[in-house]
Amino acid sequence: MNKILGLFGQRRTILILVLYLLLSFLFMATNDPFILRGMRIAILQGIGWVSSAKNYLKYRQDLEEENKILRKKLLEISLANQKLQEQLLENLRLRRLLKFKEESNFSYIPATVIGIGQEQTIRSLILNVGSADGVVKNQTVVTEQGLVGKILIVEPHESVTQILMDQNSLVSVRLQKSREIGVIGWTGNLWLDLNYIPRDVVVEPGEVVLTSGLSRLYPRGIKIGIVAEVAEVEYELFKSIKVKPAVNFNNLEEVFILFVQDSLLTGKQSREQN
Amino acid sequence: MSKIEVRHIILFAVAFILQFTVIRFIEILHWRPDLILIVLVSFSLRKGPNWGMTAGFISGLLQDLISAQILGLTALAKTMAGFIAGILSGKLAVRTEYFLVLLISGFFHDLIYFFFYTIGEDFSLRSLIIFYTIPNLLYTVIIGGVLYYFFETILAES
Repeated sequence: MNKILGLFGQRRTILILVLYLLLSFLFMATNDPFILRGMRIAILQGIGWVSSAKNYLKYRQDLEEENKILRKKLLEISLANQKLQEQLLENLRLRRLLKFKEESNFSYIPATVIGIGQEQTIRSLILNVGSADGVVKNQTVVTEQGLVGKILIVEPHESVTQILMDQNSLVSVRLQKSREIGVIGWTGNLWLDLNYIPRDVVVEPGEVVLTSGLSRLYPRGIKIGIVAEVAEVEYELFKSIKVKPAVNFNNLEEVFILFVQDSLLTGKQSREQN
Repeated sequence: MSKIEVRHIILFAVAFILQFTVIRFIEILHWRPDLILIVLVSFSLRKGPNWGMTAGFISGLLQDLISAQILGLTALAKTMAGFIAGILSGKLAVRTEYFLVLLISGFFHDLIYFFFYTIGEDFSLRSLIIFYTIPNLLYTVIIGGVLYYFFETILAES
């Protein structure tokens, strides 16, 4: 027995062995399903949490990867969409211009706005056509909405247009209903000022203002804007009329330049008619 | 807690995970290596019978709880395996110690397990030993032999 105990080392070892064996037998003997079930659920839940954490990490990693790919795709689609929208708007603008060109009796040179004039004293636009395209000084520049201005400077391949909303720009106009003639100009506001319309003339907001054709510069009948506000100042001979421009000068992209001969001819015709 | 204990706890945890996840993929005709026994023998050889029994009892009990076996059966078998490996520590030739101890403790482990498993059942214990325990044990020793060098490397540092 001593030899056996000597082999085992100490009595403590035997006691521990007996204790573990007793515990094992106790577990085997009882095997209470209720307790067992509870213990197993607890263990398996623990394993489940570890597994879910592992899956969550993998899921998160996959999500990040997927997110990167989707962002890239979104950017590509967004750029393509912007391009398509741009093309759609260009298409609409060109359709309107084409319709205007077909309906009009004038001859035109199409031009694209490539910049805004940098001169301090003149408000102008730079166009992509010049003398090489047949453009000459003082030609009328229009859009399908109405009058833009006139050609001021001509270079071989580009030209500068003085727009209506410039302090040096004055145009002879006619009110569509009353047929009264006045002069329109710009004084630094959001609107144009129509001058020299006598107090006794009936002018109502909404009335259309057109070029009169009396000057040698602009042909007759080009829309300039509509009357926005009419006021009468005491002791003044003329009405104070504000005109909303037909053309939005902030978003101009394509314009037409009228042929000089046509405009002169129309001017002569209009003078004859007047 | 010493480094060797910490590393063995990690090894036990890894063995548990592998035993219940990937080990079924290397199953041959229902014979599976017992990775927990492999780690237990390594631990008992280094720490002696007291620690070996404790590790065997705890790991066996956990195995019973996870695998829905009779609670206490694997705990009993693993306690005995840990005890045998512990008392054989330093009593065999160093070169073959691990393999022989794994073989002996593994044999007793399976013998105890199936003895109690088949009590009152119409099973032939001898057939179970021949057709299940011995091939299973050999498979465990082969895998244990491969892992032995890995254990030696990571445990030698501590």
